[in-house]
Amino acid sequence: MNTKFSPDGLNPFDDPLDRILAEIALSIQLPPSLHEQAKGRYEAVRRHLEATTAFHDQIEHFYPQGSMTIDATISTRGTDDEYDLDIVTQLGDRFRNLPPLAILRELKVAFSDYPVQKVLRQTRCVTLFYADKMHLDVTPALRVYGTLDRESEITHAKGPRPSGDDRLVNMNAYGFANWYRDRTPVELRLAKAFQLRWLEEAGRIRADADVDDVPDQCDFIVKNTATLALQLIKRFRNIRYANYAGRIPPSVMLSYFAGLAAQPNMSLTAMVIRLASWIFGEIERASIYGRKLHVANPVCPDDVFTDRWPESVAQQNEFAGHLNMLVQSLEQMRKGELLPDAMMGELRANFGDRVVTRAADQIAAEVGQGIQQSRQRYTRRGGLIWPTDAAAPAIMPASATARPHTFFGLKI
Amino acid sequence: MPAIPLSIEGQVAAMKAGWPKLVGRRIDRRRQSARWIGPVRPQYTNYTLEIRYCLGMWPEVRVVAPTLIRLPGNSEGELPHVYPPADDPILCLFDPRESEWTPDMAIAHTTVPWSLDWLACYEHWLMTGRWTGGGHHVGPLLLIPETSS
Repeated sequence: MNTKFSPDGLNPFDDPLDRILAEIALSIQLPPSLHEQAKGRYEAVRRHLEATTAFHDQIEHFYPQGSMTIDATISTRGTDDEYDLDIVTQLGDRFRNLPPLAILRELKVAFSDYPVQKVLRQTRCVTLFYADKMHLDVTPALRVYGTLDRESEITHAKGPRPSGDDRLVNMNAYGFANWYRDRTPVELRLAKAFQLRWLEEAGRIRADADVDDVPDQCDFIVKNTATLALQLIKRFRNIRYANYAGRIPPSVMLSYFAGLAAQPNMSLTAMVIRLASWIFGEIERASIYGRKLHVANPVCPDDVFTDRWPESVAQQNEFAGHLNMLVQSLEQMRKGELLPDAMMGELRANFGDRVVTRAADQIAAEVGQGIQQSRQRYTRRGGLIWPTDAAAPAIMPASATARPHTFFGLKI
Repeated sequence: MPAIPLSIEGQVAAMKAGWPKLVGRRIDRRRQSARWIGPVRPQYTNYTLEIRYCLGMWPEVRVVAPTLIRLPGNSEGELPHVYPPADDPILCLFDPRESEWTPDMAIAHTTVPWSLDWLACYEHWLMTGRWTGGGHHVGPLLLIPETSS
């Protein structure tokens, strides 16, 4: 697939608040090493299934769906290091005459000797639990012929016995991923900054290396500001609903709104605010008329993203309330109205204690080191910046340097 | 031969050129003293900074607003790298033993950017509990005779 490029975008590590949000996003993302591992596992699962009697010659397509296809994977709700990944296995004719529950059962049986910690049949998929806390959902699908590429029906059966609620549900995850990617092209400056940051994290490159040292042709994990903002909103949802037993606002719905709200060359903070405000507005419009939010796949109207959430207008209003608080909090930070300790409290409440602490520690170490090495520059408005290749002179037309100095004095 | 001190006119001109938001007040050419006040935002938060200077003394920098927060029990002290008094602390930005600042230097090129460094370190100290900007803490005896009033 050809990668689309948009205007360069902004480097989120250039602005102090964006930098914190970017570091938080970095902490919650699927790391590149696990990204590679996931791809390997996809292949291994496919090979295993094709080697079984039941699925031999019956796999027409085998492809990732969900966050992995749009590079928006973050850690699972309630965790900082567990990841849920999804694969669709498009099945052949033999399965067309089977009821949904039978298909799910066959799939589970096929994995009975698979080397994972646990295999679990769910309502719409079979989940493989790996020892390193990665969870792989394998969703069986049947192609709906005569429709757009890979439009399919997936199984829905709660089990353990067949029920009247068992059914096939329309979906086109493949088409949605293409729609999302079309609307969120790569922002090269941001993508390179993140690639560099990841390599630093992995100890594979010097912290002060030039951005140009990063190869152009790399498998970007972070492509644009809209997707970073999406990851942060998903994380915010996970934190807000950490102790909530029911269904939560679905990731695919949030991804849809991120696709709509995407706009190149926005700062990360502004993009998070824009996305949260966008979703808030959509919910508000539905609630005014007493309606539940209805969001469908833009390339497959029968694939309804909101079919299981919200269950009520009150439930969607609760989420809107959370989003409104997030927007207010970020707006205050953007205006410089919050003291740093209060800002940390807000960030921790919104994105989780560990990742925010980690982000602050990382930035504090870098800022302190930068000051001790006199790498900082100053804007005429009284700001501090750390020049990167991405922070080209156009962004800091009037910045100054200063001679080295040593903090002195007393502890009061 | 010691360098020639920069006159108050020279300091005022350099401040005006480098930091237009820091406005000069009480510029006294006879006493060769001045005061500048204005907003800065080194990283996350807006501050109002005040710099007082009288030729022959060290520049004094205070954070007028918001009030500097203390962290009781912190290993760097409740508020690191400042001069007394505790209720109106002056930022301590350079090591006088090393003559890092001398009167021939422009405040605009030293004191102001160093104050922004201090505030950036202060903000991250509040956020993490660690002062990452380096520096030395000393006892009060080393300071009192040398500070300006």
